[in-house]
Amino acid sequence: MSSKGNIAFRAVSVVILAVMAVFFALPIYMAVINSFKTQKEIFSSVLAWPSSFGFDNYINVFHSIDLLKSLGNSLTVTIIGVVGMLLLGAMAGYKLSRTPGKLSGFIFFLFLSSMMIPFHVIMITLSQVAKSLHLQGSTTGLGIMYVGLSLNMVIFLYHGFVKGIPKEMEEAARMDGAGELYTFFRIILPLLKPITVTLAILNVLYIWNDFLLPLLMLTDVNKYTLILTTNSFFGQYTKDWGSILSSLVMTAVPVFAFFIAFQKWILQGIADGALKG
Amino acid sequence: MTRTIRQYAWFFAFVAPALLVFLIFIVIPMLGGMSYSFTNWNGLAKSYKFVGFVNYIEAFKDKEFIRSLMFSFKYVFLMVVLQNGIALLLALLIESRKRAKGLFRTIFFMPNLISMIIGAFMWTFIFTKLLPELAEQAAFSFLDQAWTSDPKVSFYSILIVSLWQGVGYMMIIYIAGLQGVPQDIKEAARIDGANGWQMLRSVTLPMIMHTVTICLFLTLNSAFNSFDVIFGLTGGGPARKTEVVSLNIFQEAFNYNYRFGYANAKAMILFLIILVITIVQVRVMKRREIEA
Repeated sequence: MSSKGNIAFRAVSVVILAVMAVFFALPIYMAVINSFKTQKEIFSSVLAWPSSFGFDNYINVFHSIDLLKSLGNSLTVTIIGVVGMLLLGAMAGYKLSRTPGKLSGFIFFLFLSSMMIPFHVIMITLSQVAKSLHLQGSTTGLGIMYVGLSLNMVIFLYHGFVKGIPKEMEEAARMDGAGELYTFFRIILPLLKPITVTLAILNVLYIWNDFLLPLLMLTDVNKYTLILTTNSFFGQYTKDWGSILSSLVMTAVPVFAFFIAFQKWILQGIADGALKG
Repeated sequence: MTRTIRQYAWFFAFVAPALLVFLIFIVIPMLGGMSYSFTNWNGLAKSYKFVGFVNYIEAFKDKEFIRSLMFSFKYVFLMVVLQNGIALLLALLIESRKRAKGLFRTIFFMPNLISMIIGAFMWTFIFTKLLPELAEQAAFSFLDQAWTSDPKVSFYSILIVSLWQGVGYMMIIYIAGLQGVPQDIKEAARIDGANGWQMLRSVTLPMIMHTVTICLFLTLNSAFNSFDVIFGLTGGGPARKTEVVSLNIFQEAFNYNYRFGYANAKAMILFLIILVITIVQVRVMKRREIEA
């Protein structure tokens, strides 16, 4: 390989990567530095470095909206949703995978084929169903809805994963007199850990960041998730960019913390979620 | 005999809870939506009438709905091409590097962590504050555009923000695909004197075709389901000119008219479109698997 061509390639590749890096980082960088500026500073220049790193805008946001309550609501919805779908999904995926026969096959097919129903197709009637079950307006109800909406994908991946686990382990346990529940919770569930971690991470990010379902389900400001609160704050303070941007930054901080803590698993989970299964 | 009954009992104990929530939140809404699409229900009234295909016929004459469909098609097409093209390019460039791999990967993936709607608000700041400021400099005067208020321009604004948000995810999958290409094959090609371009065309790309197919369909589905970016950036406006089909359905049902029957007919049309795409998708995947 000619070294000239190699050097030219490396130069071009660095330039492309650098330009793209600026493009990808710019909105976040802009949001962060302008969140420290006064109205006047933003008005005179958005590119300039802030004159001081005061937290006035952040304090203002804290006084206007109850971010901590919204954070708690987001946590409630996410935990109920993710734990619920993993537990129900693992149980059903395991049994469906281990049970031969027409009924089992049909139920699995039902879950599988429902995966091509886009959310927007069912959202109208879904909100009616939620209303008649009195789930509308409750964070617990919203969490349960995420369980129902994501189970097909969760069951699909557990079903595939269980196939790779040798049956001998369960048979040996049964010989020793272990019951169904003991076998599932003590033997199978620990073996499902890799796929459980993948599913947990993907669905935590999905529920935490989801906007449309909470928008349809939650009407009381006290029940708003973090995303919804930020959305309504944006609607009310359209001109006060300093406060808006600091609210955006604060909303992004928990996900970035989550990413830093679980970076390896998140990246692995995305690749596995797409390429396996 | 008791043994089989006990097996059935355990089968249902494990499967029934999942089946129940699934039936309530997906199957019933789907079947309900289908039936309501043939009625004139307005979402509030207790009574409604069966109207046959009237809603469907109206949908195909509804200029705004047709426009939103066309908008979606155009958007989906460009998203599939650009999102995969850029993601693959970035993955290849990052994988060809020895240093700073992790840094670039993190920067490109970061926007994907942020909720779409938050990202759209950050970009609103860029479009309405930063770009006008830059456009004051003569060299950047081309940036002086009505980025979010002129429908022709805001189509591209929507595209830019969607790419900013979505490219990183696909890039992660492509990187995993590239890392799966066996080293010895690349080594063999290098010994045979293949240059960089030949390596890419004849070794790397054929080896990651499976990944490319998966990514194409992932982007196809996610682009069809785009909602938040448009909602946050333009709200579908001005005058509903930047609505995608999902936003058009949402507005029909929850904002403008509360015509649930009619909105459900539109939703079923969307479903049929996705159904056709999915059938094609499954066929193509099956064929590829046989070839591989």
